[in-house]
Order: sequence, then C-alpha cells, then structure tokens
Amino acid sequence: MQQTLEDFYKVIRAAGINVSPSDTIETSRTVALVGYTDRNILKNAFQVSLAKSETEQELVAECFEQFFSFDTFSAANDPHSNTTAGSDEADDQQPIKSEQNEAPEAQSELAKMLMEGDTASLATEMKKAAREVGLTDIWFFTQKSLYAQKIMQKMGLRDLQNDIAAMGKGDCPSSIAQAGELRNAKEYLAESVKDFVEQQLSMYGRNATRNLREDHLKSSKLSNIEQRDFHVMHDLVRKMAKRLSTQYSKKKKQDKRGQLDFRKTLRRNVAYDGVMFETYWKTKYIDKPRLLVMCDISGSVQAYARFLLLFLHSLNDVMQRIDSYVFTGNLIPVKDIFEKYPVEQAIDKIMADHGMGGSDYGTTLLDLDDQCMDDIDNKTTVLILGDARNNFLAPRTEVMQTLHLRAKRVIWLNPEPTTFWNAGDSVMYKYRPYCHMAKTCNTLDHLERMLDDLLKAATS
Amino acid sequence: MKELYKDKFTSVDDIQQRFESAKYICSEQIATCVYIAHNLQKPVMVEGPAGVGKTELAKTTAQILDVPLVRLQCYEGLDESKALYEWKYAKQLLYTQLLKDKLSELLEGSTGLEQSMERIHSHDDLFFSETFLEPRPLYKALHEELGCVLLIDEVDKSDPEFEAFLLEVLSEFQVTIPELGTIKAKIKPLVFLTSNNSRELSDALKRRCLHLYVPYPDEKLESRILSSRVPELSDTLRKEVVSFVQQVRELDLKKVPSISETIDWAKTLLLLHSEQLEPGMVKQTLNVLLKFETDIDAMGDHMRTFINKAHKRSGR
Repeated sequence: MQQTLEDFYKVIRAAGINVSPSDTIETSRTVALVGYTDRNILKNAFQVSLAKSETEQELVAECFEQFFSFDTFSAANDPHSNTTAGSDEADDQQPIKSEQNEAPEAQSELAKMLMEGDTASLATEMKKAAREVGLTDIWFFTQKSLYAQKIMQKMGLRDLQNDIAAMGKGDCPSSIAQAGELRNAKEYLAESVKDFVEQQLSMYGRNATRNLREDHLKSSKLSNIEQRDFHVMHDLVRKMAKRLSTQYSKKKKQDKRGQLDFRKTLRRNVAYDGVMFETYWKTKYIDKPRLLVMCDISGSVQAYARFLLLFLHSLNDVMQRIDSYVFTGNLIPVKDIFEKYPVEQAIDKIMADHGMGGSDYGTTLLDLDDQCMDDIDNKTTVLILGDARNNFLAPRTEVMQTLHLRAKRVIWLNPEPTTFWNAGDSVMYKYRPYCHMAKTCNTLDHLERMLDDLLKAATS
Repeated sequence: MKELYKDKFTSVDDIQQRFESAKYICSEQIATCVYIAHNLQKPVMVEGPAGVGKTELAKTTAQILDVPLVRLQCYEGLDESKALYEWKYAKQLLYTQLLKDKLSELLEGSTGLEQSMERIHSHDDLFFSETFLEPRPLYKALHEELGCVLLIDEVDKSDPEFEAFLLEVLSEFQVTIPELGTIKAKIKPLVFLTSNNSRELSDALKRRCLHLYVPYPDEKLESRILSSRVPELSDTLRKEVVSFVQQVRELDLKKVPSISETIDWAKTLLLLHSEQLEPGMVKQTLNVLLKFETDIDAMGDHMRTFINKAHKRSGR
C-alpha cells in the first residue's frame, strides 16, 4: 500500500501541488488513522492534509478520482464481448477447446488469461508489469510506445508470440483458428495497454510537458516567440509578476516623528520605572513605491513591443501605483486602456493607434519633462523599455540628467545586446550615464531577474 | 506531555452525530478534518467566506469535548506581550517598594558589595516568577490542565512577525520565555486558526496545518442547519427561505449572505409571524440578509421571480 501512496503523491506533484516529505509523512499517518474502508472519508482526508488552498483541494479531489479508478480492462476492451458476435464466439470456443486436446495447447500464462477473458487478472498483471518497468516516471508523450512495449514484454509477450507461432504451424484447423483468435486478443491487449499508458501519462506527465514548454519560452528571445504561445506567455508573465509582488507587498513603517503615543510609550517603559527609553509615535506610514514605465513601440522594436506591452499589462494588474506610457514620438498614457480592455485587445488597440513609425527619444523625454517631472520624486522608479534608436535626432540628454537626479532609480532595459549599443542610430551610450542600471533584456528570464531587482529596490 | 482528552472522538460518524446534537450540522469533510486533527494533534486552518461557521466550529468542538475555549483575536499590531505573556511591572515595582525594609534586613550583616550581591541573587528569581506573570491567551492555552480548544481568529489580520512566532507554538506546542525557560503544554490543545484570506499566509504556517475550506452550504445542508438552529420555523417557510437565499447567492453581490444571515433572517421572519414569503415582508426585512445598499438595490428586479421560485420549491 505504501507504494500506492507514493504513486499517488507523484500524481499530486504532477498536478502542480507542492508536497514536501513531511507532508507525505503526515498524510501517511492520516491515512493510517482513517483507513481505507470509506472512500469518501479517505478522499476528504487527502484533501485536508495535502491541499493548502481551495483550488488545491479541487485538484486533489480530481487526482483522487483519476488515480483510484480501476476499470482499465473494461468490457469494451474485452476481446470476447467487443465484437457484435462476441458472445457467440465465446460459446463456440468451449467445444473447440475440448476437441483439440492433441493439438498444441496454449502454454503461456498470458495466452491462457486472454483465452479465458479473465480481465481482472489481466488488469492486475498489467499493473504489476507497469510498476516493474517504472511507469510512474513517464513524462513525455514520446515515451508512450516505449513504455507500452516494455509492459507488454513484462507480461509475457514473447511467450504469447511463440504460442501463436506454434499453433499456426500445425494442420489442425481448430488450432489455426485459435491462433487467429489469440492474435486478435493480442491486439486488444496492446490496445488496452496503450490506453492505460496514456491515462497514466495524463496523470504523471501533466506538468512535465508544460514545464518544459514554459522553460523553453522563458529562455527564448522575446522576438522569436510566436503568436500561438502568446497565451502561455501571458500566464507566465502574470504568474511571475504576481509572485514577485506578493513577495514585496507593501510594508508599514512606524514613523519616528509626529505625535507621541503616550499610552503605548508609558506602557512599554513601565519596565524601566517610567523612564522613557523606548518611544512610540502615533503616525504610521505605508511605504508606497511608485513605478513609472515607458515603453517604446516604434518599428525598430516591433518584434519586442508586444511582449513588452504584455509585461507592462501584467505589471499593471499586480502593482497598484504604476503609471504606464508608450511612445514613438510622444508620450501616451495607456493606463486607462489597460484597465478597460482585456490584455490582447488592449495591446492590439495600442499597437494600432500608436504603433509603428520611427522613435524620437528626444521629444518623448521633453514630453516627460513637461507632463510627469513634477510627480517624480525620490520614491519613484522610472523604467524605460526601448532600444534607444533615435533616428539621428537630438537625444536631449539634459532631461535624462534631471530624471537621474530626481528619481529614486532609472532603469533602462534594452532588447539589443550590448555590442549593438551605439551602433548606427543608437544613442544608448549617451543615455547610459544617467541610468542607475542599463541592461540587455530580451528573454523572459531577463525580465524576471530585472523585476526582482526592481521590486527589491522599490520596497527596501 | 500527556495527550489524553477526557473525551475522545472514535469515528467520523461519531463526530457528525455529536456535532448535530450540539446543533452544529457539519459536512463529512468537516467531520473528517476534526477527527484527524483531534487524533493526530494537528492544528486546523479553517478558511471560507465570513459567516459560514468557522468560529462556531471551534466553539462547538470545545463544548463537545467539554474543555474551555481559549480565544485569541488577531489584529494588526498584535504582539507577544498581548498574545503570550507580560510581566506585571506595576506589581513588581509596588512589591519592591513595600519590601524595601525586608531587603535591608536581608542585607544586614553582609560585608562588602560582593556578599550583598550574592544574597540578593539568591532571591531575585522571586520577582520574575509566575506570580508576576500576566498570562495571555496562548500561555493560558498551554497551561490548561485538561486541554482546551485554542481558537486563533482571523490570523491573516496579524503581522508576518506574529505569524512566524506562531510557528513554534503550533509545531511544538511550547513557548520560550527568557526569564522562565521553555514552557510546554500540559495537554496539547486542539488549535483552530481561521482566515478570511485578506493576506496570503506563509507556506511554513500552511504546511503545519490541516487545511479546511468551508464553502457556502448547499440547499440540503442549509435546510438541515436551519431546522436545527431555528426549530420553530415551519417546514414550508424553511424551504422557501433556503431556496430564496440560495438564489440570492447566485447574484453578483458585494456581500453574499452566508448561513449566519440566513439564520438571522429566519428568526426575523418568525418574529414577524410570517407564514410564507411575501414580497412586502421580504422587502422590509431584506436588510437583515443583505448588508449593502447597492446589494439591496440589485435585488429589486429579481425579488419577485425568486419568491415565486421559492414558492414552487416548497410545493405550493
């Protein structure tokens, strides 16, 4: 039973729930306590001890139903009742068997089981074989036929084939007929095993394939990611941003100024005979980091723009005080659009309304100076996403200088690698001195690391 | 440390029956969870919307086990001195003042600073003993002779620091007081933590607890709860009330009515001698069920259809 439990934990893990070793120990104790007699109680016990949130409870219940269902060799897979004339065949079979005593008899266990249509033992045998070959380690759909083959071998496929060959050789018509029947049965067996493996894959490999895909997406260049992966990306970015933002949620700090909280101070200092060593103040302030993001959506960063916008949208979802702007030649606030429309519509709308064209960082910076400079203070982090390709226009570095002085941090994320900075019309080197950080950022991994730094700095 | 409660739950069914006789109708899942928690001595984290009986669960358990309920209401800024213990500074000071004479008597005859210090040393523990300790809920819970049910209410409202402090209490059932040493529970209390999910709790805390989610009840369960809590209610009216509330829950409301509101409403209707749901009466008493003006407005159009359906449900 221990093995079964461990397999179940594997399924739970594959479903994406974190199960630590101590969880498994506790759960095993729980199961020992409630026993296996009542299916519902057992299910509840698993739910209560393995899940850590409401959604996880649903998942555990789902896994439980899937894992503890034993109907692999259902009637549908039974060779004797599958065909319409199945029952007749089965009836005919008995006399044939008794007649052909002299003819070569089916030797292997497997052949006997198949002939007798003993689905229960077949299922048991298959599960045993599956355990021996380690089916629970199946991860990818490409491993399906390999595992199916392995299981068949373990169940005694070779002997079965020998039997079929031996029976087919003789002249006795009944044994030839039986060989044909066995061949049919073998196919049914293969089919059943394949079904079983498939079902197991759907349990154990559920996460692996997705993880692989997500890992791949994370490290591939944003410009190479195709449209169809957009949804996966969106979820990924959201997940990332959400995790980061809960990690660095707003903190309350005790202010060291203002009105003295006399009661609390007295209370705390009774221990010192009323001498006020520790003082408490009434005011508290919430540390609210502010973020101002500007995203280039001009032609030169077209390939990245969608994903930068996606990133921006996700940030908007999870961070409260964020001002988002896009620009080509002018600064355009997009916070409203993000709030009003779902992600894809919002991005399409922005790209259609404001996208394309050559970027002009100079006028954009002047716009920034004009519209937002007053709001930028020493709590504001300014994030600029763009390639600094200015089409040989005036770079207006003086605005960057003011920005550098006023803001807490200025961060520039450039999708181009450092070697391309300053090549052609890029003025990255002119802006770089005024950035607290300027980095290449063209994969999701880069973005994640960046965001991590950003939020750490914003809340510290 | 003993682990014996005078009363023991023997099976899941047993729990359901005993809860029912204490007028708390619980689903099988809740009963299983209490059974496991009681037998394996693990804390239970109860989550769910407000008013579905999270706190009531702890109260009823205490009542059935016949042990005291120690309640710790969490809020922002709650710290050890309010949750665990505090020294009675005033009493300490007062005693030192009163006992000044005794102190000088004690020191009489001693020569030199060192000797005086030694004499005082042999007595100073007196001032940091349990006589001068103000016990707070957690300390009380560990000290109960016969065990107790410890209810840590709305743990999500407390600060992360306090949550970290709870870890020691919940996994080892012991606390460390610098002046006194480590204090272990006499009998491990049965701990219920409730949370409204206003803040994500740490994984460390979640890992130590059984997780129980109490949802809004379905029609059958709610009807049973209502009949045990408001037994005077006639069958027809009960069916109508439950059906009506179930329909209201489907709406997009700011605050969906929960069981406690259903019970309140049923009691209100009973008080007003209603025999069945009537639009006028429902309209007047809707404020018992819905707590926001906007929600009551949103109900306006649906009320008549809901009442009709409720009538049909009750078979009239």
